[in-house]
Amino acid sequence: MLRRSLLGTGVLAAALFMAFGPAHAFDESRYPDLKGQWVRARVPGVSGQPGYDPTKNQGLAQQAPLKPEFQAVLDANLKDQAAGGQGGDPTYACISPGMPRIMNPYGDMEIVITPDTTHILLEHIHDSRRIFTDGRDWPSGYTEATYRGYSIGKWLDTDGDGRFDTLAVETRNFKGPRAFDAAGIPLHPDNQTVVQERIHWDKSKPDTLTDEITTIDNALTHPWTVTKTYTREHVAQPEWFEEVCAEGNNHIGIAGQNYFMSGDGRLMPAKKDQPPPDLHYFKPPQK
Amino acid sequence: MLFRGLIGAVAVMAVLTATSVGARAFEDAQYPNLKGQWLRARPPAGVTGQAPFDPDKSWGLAQQAPLTPEYRKILEASLADQAAGGQGFWPSAKCLAVGMPAIMGPFQPMEFIVLPEVTYVRIDHNRDTRRRIFTDGRDWPADVQPSFDGYSIGRWLDTTGNGRFDTLAVETRYFKGPRAFEPSGMPLHKDNQTIVKERIYLDQTDATLLHNDMTVFDHALTRPWTVAKKYRRDPAEEPFWPEYMCGESTGLIYIGAEMYFLSGDGNLMPSKKDQAPPDLSYFNRAKK
Repeated sequence: MLRRSLLGTGVLAAALFMAFGPAHAFDESRYPDLKGQWVRARVPGVSGQPGYDPTKNQGLAQQAPLKPEFQAVLDANLKDQAAGGQGGDPTYACISPGMPRIMNPYGDMEIVITPDTTHILLEHIHDSRRIFTDGRDWPSGYTEATYRGYSIGKWLDTDGDGRFDTLAVETRNFKGPRAFDAAGIPLHPDNQTVVQERIHWDKSKPDTLTDEITTIDNALTHPWTVTKTYTREHVAQPEWFEEVCAEGNNHIGIAGQNYFMSGDGRLMPAKKDQPPPDLHYFKPPQK
Repeated sequence: MLFRGLIGAVAVMAVLTATSVGARAFEDAQYPNLKGQWLRARPPAGVTGQAPFDPDKSWGLAQQAPLTPEYRKILEASLADQAAGGQGFWPSAKCLAVGMPAIMGPFQPMEFIVLPEVTYVRIDHNRDTRRRIFTDGRDWPADVQPSFDGYSIGRWLDTTGNGRFDTLAVETRYFKGPRAFEPSGMPLHKDNQTIVKERIYLDQTDATLLHNDMTVFDHALTRPWTVAKKYRRDPAEEPFWPEYMCGESTGLIYIGAEMYFLSGDGNLMPSKKDQAPPDLSYFNRAKK
């Protein structure tokens, strides 16, 4: 009697569970709470636009482990910028800074976690990312290269508390040109960059997020690892400012040269003694 | 015996249910499955032009847009400029964000991310758009910086009464401009008081077809304008998300009010017959 009763109980319980159990539930309690608006943590003493290594000023102060050939490129970029040029930084033309520079970051950041993909939404040029966490392999065959690259990630529970706390990411398949920062620290034009990240949330500091980034690139003498830190803004309904790079952008690129548009809407040089653009396609004025 | 068995079954079921509910699961079975990549559905045969606002009609005058006389003239001027080699009133030619409602054409693949408090719509076009449709019950904010995409508040509806949401009703306000309905340059009013209402829902018989019944209220119009946009889900399991860099691919150069082309060799060339070259007087001064 007892055995039949227990068997009946089990069968009934199983049937009820299948009817009411979580059919397709996304258990977000397994993931860190990264909701809200994240901004770059300020580092005292560091000025200017954010560098790849956020603890140092951009440019030469980064002490980037560049090969001599690429150190020369950086030196030339800095000289060009001092003369009024853009020196290896393509973002003036509203081209995405690409990875790894996107993660400086230049705008407010939002991290949206779903089971298959973690979206990093960034308000800047074209900086938003998809990190695929669905267990996929690297795509075989041709995949169009992008400035942001193709990212595959895996959630880890590093402290064994049953909750993921770290997103390990690898990003490949790049196009260029890309630079590490606005000073124009160059990545190699072969675009064989691999970027590895460990985006870590420490539950004891819930409003702090770190991203340990390692860039492996043929412009470097060795892999370059830095740690970026983000802090969460305490606003119930944060405002997400819209940035449209082309709006108010007065840079004009013609035949590889950068010019400006003056306040009165005319073309002007960006550098001292810069010659005007070639206008041979225009008919000479009628006499 | 039977009575004790039933009590036991209920107790086991309660424990199992409590386990699943207590884990704070996002019950995405309550929402329509909008995962994947969405593209503009193929228009009816004979419809021409880039992403017409009303997808069932060709762009431009064939849209029969209910424009006020003043704004119809702007459309006609835009079309005349385009016929002469210009871009008319289409702000995308300057790599500006197309904004709402045009962004929901869409011009590039679209992704919906449905979460309890917000539904995101990601489209990588001139701007790396990420519409946020807030479904957390919030009120309209008193002070919002206007934007091309606007500020969207939505509400999920169960219109069939089957206990599952099937329609996202959205209202979007707080715009900036300039914006146009479509690439013909059909203009929205410069006062940017546009309100866009949408009802987004899966087709009842075809889960690869998504409807967006969109109504635009705008002072360029004589009345609200409602169109039925349709999107088709790409069947690829791992769709490719293209990266669109307007600044990289555009051959258009704007200097002041004039638009020029970049030739294949990178030099400046006219975009219209007999177009004068740009004023280079600042360069002459530099030579002195």
